[in-house]
Amino acid sequence: MVAKYVMLADTVRCIDCKACVISCRAEWETPMGYSRDWVKQVEFIKANGMPEVMLFPGRCQHCDEAPCIEACPSGAAYKREDGMVLQDDAICSGCELCVPACPYDARWLNPKTNTISKCTFCQPRVDKGLEPACVQTCVGRALIFGNINDPNSEVSRLLAEKEWVKLTTDEVNIGPNHYYYTAGEAIPAEVMPKLHDRHLAGKVMENVVNPAGVIGVGGMVLAFLGAGVMKLIGRRNEVGTHENQEGK
Amino acid sequence: MSTPNQFDPSRRAFLGATMGGTALSIAGLPSQALARINAPHEHEKLKETTEVFGFCDMCYWRCGLKIRSRDGRAVKIDGNPEHPNNWGVVCGKGNAGLMVAYAPNRLKYPMKRVGKRGGGEWKQISWDEALNEVAENLNKVKKEHGSQALALIGHGSWEKPYHRLAHAFGTPNTTSPVFGLCCGPRGLANMMVVGRNLTGNETIDLENCKYFLMMGRNVTESLHNGETLGWVNGVANGAKVVYFDPRYSITASKADEYYALRPLTDHAFLLAMINVVINEELYDKQFVAEQTLGFDELKERVKQYTPEWAAPITDVRADDIRRLAREMAAKAPSVFVYAPRRMTRSSNDLGTGLSITILNTLFGVWGRKGGVFTPQKYNVPEPDLPEFKHAHIAHRVKTGGDFDFSAMDIPSEHIVDEHGKYQRADGAGVMGRWPIANAQYGLTNEMWRAMAEQKPYPIRALITAGGNGFLNSTNYDIIRKALETIDFYVAADVIPNEMNAYADILLPEASYLERYDDLQIGGAREGYVAVRMPAIKPMHDTRDAWTICKQLADRMDLGAYFPHESIKELLDDRLKKAGSSLAEIEKVGILKTARDDKINFPRDHGNPLKIKTPGGKTKAEFVPSMLKNMGYDKALDYVEQVRPKDDEFHMTFGRVGYHTHARTQDNIWTADFMRENVLWIHPEPATKRGIKEGELVTVTDQKGRSGEIKAKVTARIRKDTIFMVHGFGHWDKRMTTAYGQGVADSDLASYEVEPHVGSMSMGLSLVKVEKA
Repeated sequence: MVAKYVMLADTVRCIDCKACVISCRAEWETPMGYSRDWVKQVEFIKANGMPEVMLFPGRCQHCDEAPCIEACPSGAAYKREDGMVLQDDAICSGCELCVPACPYDARWLNPKTNTISKCTFCQPRVDKGLEPACVQTCVGRALIFGNINDPNSEVSRLLAEKEWVKLTTDEVNIGPNHYYYTAGEAIPAEVMPKLHDRHLAGKVMENVVNPAGVIGVGGMVLAFLGAGVMKLIGRRNEVGTHENQEGK
Repeated sequence: MSTPNQFDPSRRAFLGATMGGTALSIAGLPSQALARINAPHEHEKLKETTEVFGFCDMCYWRCGLKIRSRDGRAVKIDGNPEHPNNWGVVCGKGNAGLMVAYAPNRLKYPMKRVGKRGGGEWKQISWDEALNEVAENLNKVKKEHGSQALALIGHGSWEKPYHRLAHAFGTPNTTSPVFGLCCGPRGLANMMVVGRNLTGNETIDLENCKYFLMMGRNVTESLHNGETLGWVNGVANGAKVVYFDPRYSITASKADEYYALRPLTDHAFLLAMINVVINEELYDKQFVAEQTLGFDELKERVKQYTPEWAAPITDVRADDIRRLAREMAAKAPSVFVYAPRRMTRSSNDLGTGLSITILNTLFGVWGRKGGVFTPQKYNVPEPDLPEFKHAHIAHRVKTGGDFDFSAMDIPSEHIVDEHGKYQRADGAGVMGRWPIANAQYGLTNEMWRAMAEQKPYPIRALITAGGNGFLNSTNYDIIRKALETIDFYVAADVIPNEMNAYADILLPEASYLERYDDLQIGGAREGYVAVRMPAIKPMHDTRDAWTICKQLADRMDLGAYFPHESIKELLDDRLKKAGSSLAEIEKVGILKTARDDKINFPRDHGNPLKIKTPGGKTKAEFVPSMLKNMGYDKALDYVEQVRPKDDEFHMTFGRVGYHTHARTQDNIWTADFMRENVLWIHPEPATKRGIKEGELVTVTDQKGRSGEIKAKVTARIRKDTIFMVHGFGHWDKRMTTAYGQGVADSDLASYEVEPHVGSMSMGLSLVKVEKA
């Protein structure tokens, strides 16, 4: 059976040391001011008047119905068979339409490359049989990654052992593949996914898919597309050159 | 696993349609391009790297590392899964170690001060010039004042060669902050009672412990990877956590019970616990009968400290104290009373430490599964060296420069020097001064004072190897005066800071990613020896500590103390004497002995615990004879602590998981999470003063020292206490990220001296807070 990858975050084991965030920064050389993953610290007062702190490590949730893919006009955002939501830099136009489409705020434009950056579940590491960089370094072993379709995997065992929840709401329920364990504590609203107003821009793009909607496309969207096409030409040349070399 | 790249067919159709219809006509895309869209998706690549082993320098725990490099650049720090200090995990600080090496404001070449000392003006000089100048100046001080007129303060995982150099030079005045400013009182207390240090890399069987009574041990934020992971595993395995801290830390959020203990009153709570454990006979009767001394005397001395006595002092209810004692006893010996990491707080830290050790001893945790294990040691001999003038202090060199967990005795010559040799200027181990203070590590606080006051005898030269005397101590006037008074100051460090700004000669050290260092020898369940290898070539005109010290030694006619040609030769020589070699250890990073339950948990195997106390006893001493002989057993008794008046607060400070001491505030990767510290204040006193979240406040201590800092209004702190994260408020402009950010807690903390040990009592400060 094809693998399906999931991430588990045991918030009881998380200590907010930021190892995951810095490990990711080093592994994927993300520019300062941007990060593919995060740890949210939520403080509140409980019903009994006592303070409480909860910690939520987070990243792209690699959703089954990923709205970022729908929003992407160039086809750069795609989902691999094993569930990973990935990004093809070579054809990403940097139009940023996927950014507000993500209710988990997992995507951002890398100003150095002018392409979208996001957590890939460390696909290049996983493809080599390594753990994601955040998982490997996690001090409390709060992050656990693996194949949910393998009944003998650690994630399958842990999912069966404890009560895990996903970050979903009535409004946003798009099949995330990131699980959280909170020992029964309710998830604070601060970490729940939210629809962004600008997500409407994504809706416009969906209309573009239908050739009948072409007439309604605004100038800005055309510019995005234009940029995407230029990338495609570059990509074509790159791939072509590569193939020619192989031919010799 | 290699899945072919997926390309959604519907998406492809969309692109074709769109381009055909609109975009193509805009961009003039040749039709040939469309076919190329069918090419498989490209994605990120994991670039090829080479890997070497090392151990971390970001804090004192020293986790095992694997450092990946590419094209001559270190690009990623991973944990070494074989290293018992971290089992493959690395914290945020450890991951950010790359930014120590790549900091643009590193010390890049040897420098000589021009202009006024501390004025911050330098000129670049050659290594030869720098080393010659240091050797000349040190020899001059030796000639004019004697070798004892040199002091050395070291703080880092590479300080060892500097200690050796100073010992070879002939001074007893070598010190590290670890004793007087940090762990001293608790290490000493363990030593006095059971002859064990239990600090440095603690030897707690965390995974199997069933009950943690944590006296402000903020193990998740003042974190050490292996210790924290072990503790998290212990909690996951069902251990109960009872946590005491005036502040609701992240560790508090993991606890089953949290007590906002009144600051500085831990000792009162612990005495009441001892009282209950003894009166209700909750102790390990066999261990107490067979392996301890002084039980009846202890019983008599704690009689007065009932839970009812402790309750109003500590804000912990009497029935809670009784219940906690009973709960712990039910889980003993798989229990642990967890001392804070830094225990330089109250005016009786020795008493607090003794109570913790006594309670652990009553519960019989030593040498038991789930309690405290007996470590193993990997035996790697030191090279043969000529005799040191102060041999008893040079003993530290033999033990690897670590805070020594295994030394079972304090040599008697630490107390009295019968050979007429100079005793330590800081008074550590000196009769009539601080006789019980550790003479290997010394009292850094008192060494600064000795330099500032030139008492009891002149100290005219100073070497510092890492560290920051200003931000890790608490009396800036004394530090400044010391630095201005001495004749010659040479600083070796990787990064600039307020202390090394005063140096006459500044020696740039290679970062820990660019060098070899002497071996790391440690004792966990398994004994081990680990290597630090260079991941990259030095990027600047820097050298490593051993090479610098050897080259200085050669210039001062002390070359015999550094007999090897290179650090690699030293490592190979040492490892060959241990049956291995440098080439061999470089393949694996670490060599270990096997775990052995019989050694780790002797009492689970019917064997008694091996004990030798400094008082010469082979049984644990509830009332240590050595302390009694000196009159210091009075520390067992509770001493009333300072209390704030209505408009005052206890001044507390501590750690956050991604900053170490005062040394990571300028690291751009850790500063990204916290660039400045804030002052935690409870909503009630904040409202009373009109202070709102994020507003600037002025905090002032009783001596008039003050600072301006933003407020964090939070119910996570007692109403009579404020808190700030340690290590901020840097004023050295060379620290481009940390400069001017937040307030230096060390400038507000107390500089009283613990009356038994001579360590600092930093928690005695009371402050006022007003809107700025």
